[in-house]
Amino acid sequence: MAETNKWTWLALAVLVAALLMLPQVVKNAFALDIFIRILLFSFIGVAWNLMGGYGAYTSTIMQIDFNISPWIGMIAGGVVAMLASLPIGWLCFRLRGPYFTIATIATAQALMLIFLKFRDLAWGAEGTTIPNLGSSPLMMQFETKASYYYVVLGLLAIGLAITYRIEKSWMGYYLVAIGEDEDAAEAIGVNAPRIKRDIYMISAFLTALAGTFYVQYIYFIDPATAFNFNISIEAALVSIVGGIGTLWGPVIGTVLLETTSALLQSWLGSTTGGIQLTVYALILMAIILWRPTGLMGMVNEVLQRRAQQRKPTQARTVL
Amino acid sequence: MLETVVQAVINGLLIGGIYALVSIGVTLIFGVVKIVNFAQGEFVMLGMYITFFLFTYFGIDPLLSLFVSMPVLFVAGALIQHFLIRRVLGPNDMPQIFLTFALSLLLLNLSLLLFTANYRTVHTFYSDEAIHIGGIYIPVAKLIAFVVAMALSGALWVLLHTTDLGKAMRAAAQNRDVATLMGINPNRVFAVAFGAALALAGAAGSLLMPFYSAYPFVGQVFVLMAFVAVVLGTLGNVVGALVASLMMGVAESLGIQFVGADSGLIVVFAMLLLTLAFKPTGLGGGRMR
Repeated sequence: MAETNKWTWLALAVLVAALLMLPQVVKNAFALDIFIRILLFSFIGVAWNLMGGYGAYTSTIMQIDFNISPWIGMIAGGVVAMLASLPIGWLCFRLRGPYFTIATIATAQALMLIFLKFRDLAWGAEGTTIPNLGSSPLMMQFETKASYYYVVLGLLAIGLAITYRIEKSWMGYYLVAIGEDEDAAEAIGVNAPRIKRDIYMISAFLTALAGTFYVQYIYFIDPATAFNFNISIEAALVSIVGGIGTLWGPVIGTVLLETTSALLQSWLGSTTGGIQLTVYALILMAIILWRPTGLMGMVNEVLQRRAQQRKPTQARTVL
Repeated sequence: MLETVVQAVINGLLIGGIYALVSIGVTLIFGVVKIVNFAQGEFVMLGMYITFFLFTYFGIDPLLSLFVSMPVLFVAGALIQHFLIRRVLGPNDMPQIFLTFALSLLLLNLSLLLFTANYRTVHTFYSDEAIHIGGIYIPVAKLIAFVVAMALSGALWVLLHTTDLGKAMRAAAQNRDVATLMGINPNRVFAVAFGAALALAGAAGSLLMPFYSAYPFVGQVFVLMAFVAVVLGTLGNVVGALVASLMMGVAESLGIQFVGADSGLIVVFAMLLLTLAFKPTGLGGGRMR
């Protein structure tokens, strides 16, 4: 056990070092853009839902109308997203199964329509561009892609750390219990709707941070971007393909899907619409039909098999 | 004023008939197979493209193409149930949700690839015809679509209540295990239910074509409506879905008329959110009526 722990930490250290060194080695702006997107989507994937839009809007309004730095706006956006998640959570988490799924999708659509409807509130359907200040780290604007890379890497590290802490806390065990059998969990005193609501609030906060970063990175905001269904789809896809409810699943899923999409784009050019999501859908179907636990499930299986193979040999040496 | 209200209600009822075909399909699949089919709208889209190509290349009237789109989609549905859905049926509903979601994503983007994003229309001799009663105006194509939609819904109700196959479907919906013990083959019943639901979606596509454009994302409009309707009308309840669809058509139409052109959907979603907040089991109650 101690040995595997040592190896895990070593692998983690190598991974962190490699991620930190990457911009120094890769000087190609296009390649760095792909890496930034990979990190961003694994971050959203860690905490996926539609809350990114609230964070993005809050920080942008604060920046443009009150000239408040997105670094502060980001936190405020997170708080707004948490507050916005309260009524949705109250409404949806009392429901179960198909009702929950349909309710969540319908609520998300309704919220986007309401944003599109109130044109006076936050620039309406046309959206707005973020003023380009050149190099201004205090306003989250940088000259080099490498700086953006480090910001989103930092966000991902925060997201992973929070998810890791939750996974190892009593909340994590409650979540596993609810996931296994909600009725049984409630019977032994787990307040399932409350736990789900709290997790939803935390994930809303994290997603809002990602929303702020995304707007600063592309210099533009409108409801279609902020509440983009494709971002939600992509964020959901990376979680499913990587393995839902696992810490590293979204990261692995993003690396696979973003790499596939970059390769497809370089092979076929961007002229053929639909090809990217067609391939995503096929990957997704293959995963669901043959590996429902996602790529992380495959990794865990391999690790377990190796651990089982090692056991008998260890026993022999002891004897 | 009264005339405007009557006109809005009639418009709503006519489009509500199409919503009914889609949502009856969703509710039938949910009632019998116990999964939510997120790809239902994409099958409406396929029905529309089948109708469009039959009209453009062979000059077949959209109403006659019902006899092609419905059987084709019935077979497609039975095959999808047999080869895909059957493999993920189990206590955990996540794989089912993701599978139908992936199916929707696949069909959507595949048609974007094959048919392009262009809007396709079919112009029949009755596309521009309308009946005038006083100041009220009833488009013929929409009236035909409504009448056929109601007839098909009625036919499904008769199938469910008078035939052995229909009774087997309702039995499997009520208790799968007991139905199996009574000698009902659930796989066969599920395949028929899935096929029938997709045939209804295909019919909706054919009926829409004389007055609505086909494009790859067209199904999304109808599937959202269908989801709201099946929740309002209680999941698994065929009559509930029919009534709720007509109600939603009217609510949407009144919203467009009196709140604003882009407010139709907001009114409908407000109805859904209120239902979920105060009576989450829907207005229908019970199941498989």
